[in-house]
Amino acid sequence: MPQVIENGDPLVIGGRALSSRLFLGTGRFPSPAVLREALDVSGAEVITFAVRRVNLDAVEDDSMLQHVEDGGYVYLPNTSGAGNADEAVRIARLAREAGLGHWIKVEIAADPRTLLPDAMETLRATERLVKEGFVVLPYTSDDPVACRRLEEAGAAAVMPGGAPIGTGLGILNPYAIGLIAEQAGVPVIVDAGIGSAADAAQAMELGAAAVLVNTPVAKARDPVSMARAMKLAVEAGRLSWLAGRIPKKKYASASSPAEGIPHGFGAVPAEAERAGA
Amino acid sequence: MGRMKDFRLYVITGENYHPGRTLREVMEAALRGGADFLQLRDKNASKRELLEKAKMLRELTRSYGVPFVVNDHPDVALAVDADGVHLGQDDLPLAAARSLLGPDRIIGISTHSIEQAREAQRQGADYIGVGPVFPTGTKPGRAAVTTAYVAQAAAEIRSIPFVAIGGITPDNAGEVLAAGATRLCAVSAVVGSPDPEAVCRRLLARIEECSEAKAAGAGPDALRTVTVNGQAKPTSAGSLWELAAQLGLAEKRVVAEMNGAIVPKAEWRTTALPAGATVEFVHFVGGG
Repeated sequence: MPQVIENGDPLVIGGRALSSRLFLGTGRFPSPAVLREALDVSGAEVITFAVRRVNLDAVEDDSMLQHVEDGGYVYLPNTSGAGNADEAVRIARLAREAGLGHWIKVEIAADPRTLLPDAMETLRATERLVKEGFVVLPYTSDDPVACRRLEEAGAAAVMPGGAPIGTGLGILNPYAIGLIAEQAGVPVIVDAGIGSAADAAQAMELGAAAVLVNTPVAKARDPVSMARAMKLAVEAGRLSWLAGRIPKKKYASASSPAEGIPHGFGAVPAEAERAGA
Repeated sequence: MGRMKDFRLYVITGENYHPGRTLREVMEAALRGGADFLQLRDKNASKRELLEKAKMLRELTRSYGVPFVVNDHPDVALAVDADGVHLGQDDLPLAAARSLLGPDRIIGISTHSIEQAREAQRQGADYIGVGPVFPTGTKPGRAAVTTAYVAQAAAEIRSIPFVAIGGITPDNAGEVLAAGATRLCAVSAVVGSPDPEAVCRRLLARIEECSEAKAAGAGPDALRTVTVNGQAKPTSAGSLWELAAQLGLAEKRVVAEMNGAIVPKAEWRTTALPAGATVEFVHFVGGG
């Protein structure tokens, strides 16, 4: 494992080696300038977008690409707004036509209140888009079986949610995320629900290959600082995972040696003394 | 005819559409947005309440240099020195209103057929309303006259202005303008919006686009209506490229889809734009 760290520990998706395991969404930032600065300090290489109609009443509000072009990023447009596989495929094709790569984050919301993903439609869209040559990263529920099916369908990575999008509730089912990470043959990217740096570190410690965040950075009081916090947390979580956490034990085991304690300092107090203290 | 001047965007009050906001703030927002003709319509107020509202609106419109008429009540119009009245088909007859108001004040008439339009023109109306073009909550139960009547009015009513009314929004305005209207009236789309000023600007932009398209093309006949990003738009563009250029999108990183199929940018120039086409222009925006 130390060798892996020395080799730079790259994450490979769709044949592309990435040195950053933090993916950053670009929505809801207070301004393009703040977004840009947050992107810089986050070190993120993969950034997500949505595909929307041009506002014909304000065409001078150019697409946000103008603020991030020439950054050498990998563009990961999403299919948000799609309610089924057909709509997701349509959005994916439109996104590819922009000429900025062929990665696509399949995102099909089944419920407007929770925005939880529709696993069935997500699977259908993934199958079709893989056949069309896309590098498909489906956002899905934290269901190990759904993730396995997506992997079988040819997904380049699977992206289970920690909690519903934008809630900041953290990882609601660490057991499931851990299981998905353990069984997956493709990178697992925890997407949605992350609220703070601690959640991002936890995702990595559970074995995730990467974390995708947007709202917790964009809506933080100080988005730029939070972008840096997320970067550090993802690195820390990754290292912690690679280094291997100790098993949990019920009782204490001293970190300092029991031998060589100078006379007179006393040993561990006896039960009777503590009770009287 | 003394007080009449040409206009483009006629706005009528509708207080039931903006509970929680005052008549003054909503109508002032419409005026800021460029409304250049204003009518007070209130079928529920007592005459005394109506008079108070009319007074306030008279003062407000005067400060914007915009004509102001009162629906249905020549006495109220005279009392506040409004520029005139607007009458429905069942209100006071035009001749009676004229004898009350004198020759200089504006009298507008609602019409629902070309016969009524001719009659109003003959009797000396200063302008007419043509509608309702679309079904509207302001006049529930009245059948929409559709854009066919707008086209008839455009062909025949030449000596006085006509304004298209009824269910018009920035999204469907293009259809009405393509049918030949050059002036639009809106009620709920403007006063029911949280941002009446912005809606007025959008409606005026539609009117402007249409008049530019007519000026650029060989005349109204060269205009076709296409649906772009959900909005009906009259256009003289013959190709997808020309349409994109007219919308200021030709040089931007946008993707086009026509009638459900993506058209690569390299083919925009050679892709003909048929009437009735549905076009989507999309781009990347911030997202997670």
